[in-house]
Amino acid sequence: MKKTFRGGVHPNEKKNLSCNEALVPFDAKGEMVFPLSQHIGKPAKAVVKKNDPVLVGQCIAEADGFVSANVISSCSGTVKAVEKRRTISGALLDCIVVDNDGQFTMAEGIGEPRDPETMTNEEIVDAVKKAGIVGLGGAGFPTHVKLMPKDPSAIRFVIANGAECEPYLTCNDRLMRESAPAIMDGMEILLRLFPNAEGVVGIEDNKPEAIAAMKEAAETHPRVRILTLKTKYPQGGEHNLIEVVTGADYPLSKLPADMGCIVDNVGTILAIGRAVLFNEPLFRHVLTVTGEAVNSPKNFIVRDGTNVLELIEAAGGIREGMELKKVLAGGPMMGFALASLDVPVVKTTNGLTCLSEDGSEKAEKQMTACLHCGRCTTVCPTGLLPQFMAEAAEMGEYERYEKKLYGLECVACGSCSYICPAKRPLTETFKRVKAEIMAEKRAKAAGGQK
Amino acid sequence: MNQTLNISSGPHVRDRWTTRFIMYIVCLALLPTAVIGVIVNGMQALLIILVSIGSAVGTEALFDLLAKKPATWKDGSAIVTGLMLALTLSPNTPVWLPAIGSVFAILVVKCLFGGLGKNFVNPALAARCFLLISFPSSMTVYKLVDGVSGATPIAELAQGKAVNITSMFLGTAPGVIGGSVIAIIAGGLILWAMDIIHGQIWISVLVGFTVFIGLFGGQGFDPKFLAAHLCGGGVMLGAFFMATDYVTSPVSRLGQTVYGLFIGILGAMFRCFGTAADSFSYSIIIANLFVPLIDRFVISKPYAFRKRAIEIQRGIDKPPLFKRIPRPVIVLTAIALLAGLALSGVYMLTKDSIEQQMAEKKMQAYRTVLSGAETFEKIEAVSAYENQVYGTKFGRVFINEAVVGKDGEGKLAGYAISVTSSKGYDGNVTISVGLTEAGKITSVSFTELHETPGKGMLAADDAFIGQFNGRKAESFKLLKDGGSQTDDEIDGVSGATVTSKAVVNAVNAAMDFYYNVMGGGRNE
Repeated sequence: MKKTFRGGVHPNEKKNLSCNEALVPFDAKGEMVFPLSQHIGKPAKAVVKKNDPVLVGQCIAEADGFVSANVISSCSGTVKAVEKRRTISGALLDCIVVDNDGQFTMAEGIGEPRDPETMTNEEIVDAVKKAGIVGLGGAGFPTHVKLMPKDPSAIRFVIANGAECEPYLTCNDRLMRESAPAIMDGMEILLRLFPNAEGVVGIEDNKPEAIAAMKEAAETHPRVRILTLKTKYPQGGEHNLIEVVTGADYPLSKLPADMGCIVDNVGTILAIGRAVLFNEPLFRHVLTVTGEAVNSPKNFIVRDGTNVLELIEAAGGIREGMELKKVLAGGPMMGFALASLDVPVVKTTNGLTCLSEDGSEKAEKQMTACLHCGRCTTVCPTGLLPQFMAEAAEMGEYERYEKKLYGLECVACGSCSYICPAKRPLTETFKRVKAEIMAEKRAKAAGGQK
Repeated sequence: MNQTLNISSGPHVRDRWTTRFIMYIVCLALLPTAVIGVIVNGMQALLIILVSIGSAVGTEALFDLLAKKPATWKDGSAIVTGLMLALTLSPNTPVWLPAIGSVFAILVVKCLFGGLGKNFVNPALAARCFLLISFPSSMTVYKLVDGVSGATPIAELAQGKAVNITSMFLGTAPGVIGGSVIAIIAGGLILWAMDIIHGQIWISVLVGFTVFIGLFGGQGFDPKFLAAHLCGGGVMLGAFFMATDYVTSPVSRLGQTVYGLFIGILGAMFRCFGTAADSFSYSIIIANLFVPLIDRFVISKPYAFRKRAIEIQRGIDKPPLFKRIPRPVIVLTAIALLAGLALSGVYMLTKDSIEQQMAEKKMQAYRTVLSGAETFEKIEAVSAYENQVYGTKFGRVFINEAVVGKDGEGKLAGYAISVTSSKGYDGNVTISVGLTEAGKITSVSFTELHETPGKGMLAADDAFIGQFNGRKAESFKLLKDGGSQTDDEIDGVSGATVTSKAVVNAVNAAMDFYYNVMGGGRNE
């Protein structure tokens, strides 16, 4: 039996739209926009100013503090402005706008091979930090922070997350099929940092080619094994992956490292490998442009800062006679809807899903009262009681929500909303309540300090 | 690409199942039960089903209209309620009954409490209980297909009689429209396979019920006895379709198990210690009332906060299996198992001798009433009438057996009929009536009589029971105040009219049976 976690749902995969499209590099033509905050933590500090010339791979904004990440230019040209721009999340953020000269001239030293044997562990982590690598799975947590746990010898597993459980998205599938050896190189570097760890690559069983390619590549890497996972959303969630590999459940208050695990997306691991072996910072990553509304879904190797509109055009544009209802950054389960398409993709954007049919719009029309059917409880991968949480939220019983129902443990994976036959907006409610409770806590803490 | 894009919180795709879809699937799962009900019980059953569904949907539509609410009748839940109510009714109820029931279910139980998802008890069951209390006489008429009124198998089971489990299983026994156990199980299992009903509920209902009946039902874990109890009295319909109602069952798995066991045990308690027939409905309704309490207190923790998960987080190794099961659970299970084994053992050991004693008693009675006979042969030709309510004018009277008595030389000495009336002052009165070939009573004797000493028990005195000796009548009349003159008048035992009446009725039933079924007494 294939290993899996408790709960979960089976949304229509829709991966066949794009899974046979090989990765193609895409070079943007228009101006490139680099938000200073593409990661969790403090925004980076711009180190270039208007009219400065920049090159590909050049650090244009430096990490500000421990939990922060460098921002790297992905094109050559001149800085047009450092100003507030609309970003993919919809917020107005400080961005560096670069006038792209279309030459993509590399900065000096980028791409030159290095021998990791000559580097110390500290130098490796430093290289990762300099490369501006963040978690490419979507969260965007600065990777160098992850690589410095209190006790590296206590790490038992280095887990490469190749589950790609989001429907529609196929870029990691393609990456594993096409660049398995490069991912393995990254794994070796991570395993070197954690001498007692076993390397595990988790891949859902709906990607047999990726599994085969990774298995082949792993033959020369005795410390790495490929773990075939059952195809089920959210198999690629950090908690769920760790549950499968170690059998342990842990609360949000603990980190994977507390459970003896380091989890990184396969794209992140590839980036670590390239940063260490080739001195190549993170300025491009894989991304799927897909959905029923685009003409020819594609898997791209895309440069950060590329305009979304340009990418959709590159995928053949919107289909004739089809109404573009919704464009999502990411997949349909955890991705967020774009208000405007004139925004740049960032490091963590792994997909652009263009939908001609809006499931949430339809759901709103079909909404009935809660049936108490308990489906949400069955599918919750955390083991929460979403129905009661929704009730408590509705009644304003936040105390019960937090203390009795452990509502803050919700990871907002969307499984409960997905399965609900009464089409209740559960996940939406939980995100809102969590934000409210956290804001209240922060306010209280701030008040206490005064 | 200038059009406005939809923005909303994720997830942006949803499962295809809707409320309406689930309701329709439940209806479909109930369909085989309804179809068999109609085939067995005829068009009246179909009419009841249609009226029930129609008035349920109509009530909700009208309520929505008058209360200016969105039209919720389309979600299919009213159809489920109407259909379920109809299936719990006797096919002989008048048509206005399901109409009243459906209006009560939808209007009072559902809509007035806020509609779908807000009712605190199962609407169909609440309506059934409402009807049972308000119209008891119309609700409990159960007839056999050929028009003879019959007791439900569960009523007979309560009297310690053998019942036909096969007919209960198929749904041909007297009872409610939705009586076909096989169809209910089939529909229920389909719902379970589709993950629409929760296994924790129906399994724990059935387990709780079976174990309790086995322990305290008086006949141990006798498979036939347990099967009869499980197949009758709406246990299956209750376990699969009523107890599993989403709105009125707990949410967490543990809560569901507790709730299921509660229903099963309560239903079995009612069976064992209370009046039998409709108790299962009440046990579900009572359990429904406890659901908010269960939901409030039986709250499962997220996986990461459960005991074992915390042990793993702290690096504690897996303890051996027997240490993980709480000790009280082991002790209680052991006690329950031992008690059950002991009870069924005692029953098995004594079962044969009890039956032997009963047969002995019967023979003794036959010898008393037919003094000239030495051997008695059962008349198989009339055995079809056994264990059924006989006739309509004798109260609840059962013909147990008819035998022909022969003397030492094999010559006909007369007939004896064993009759039970369940309308004694304290339960059953069983008599044996001896008859000559011409239909004259030789004598009447009691095989079973446990009435009030000094009153009903006086019926056994010759002063009362001896009056029948040597008489012949189509029908005896009971005179409460004495002063009988003609052959067909019997003086009652003073102060024990009920007992006297039961005896006279039983004798009359025996006479009627002899004349009309056995065809005796004609050639005088």
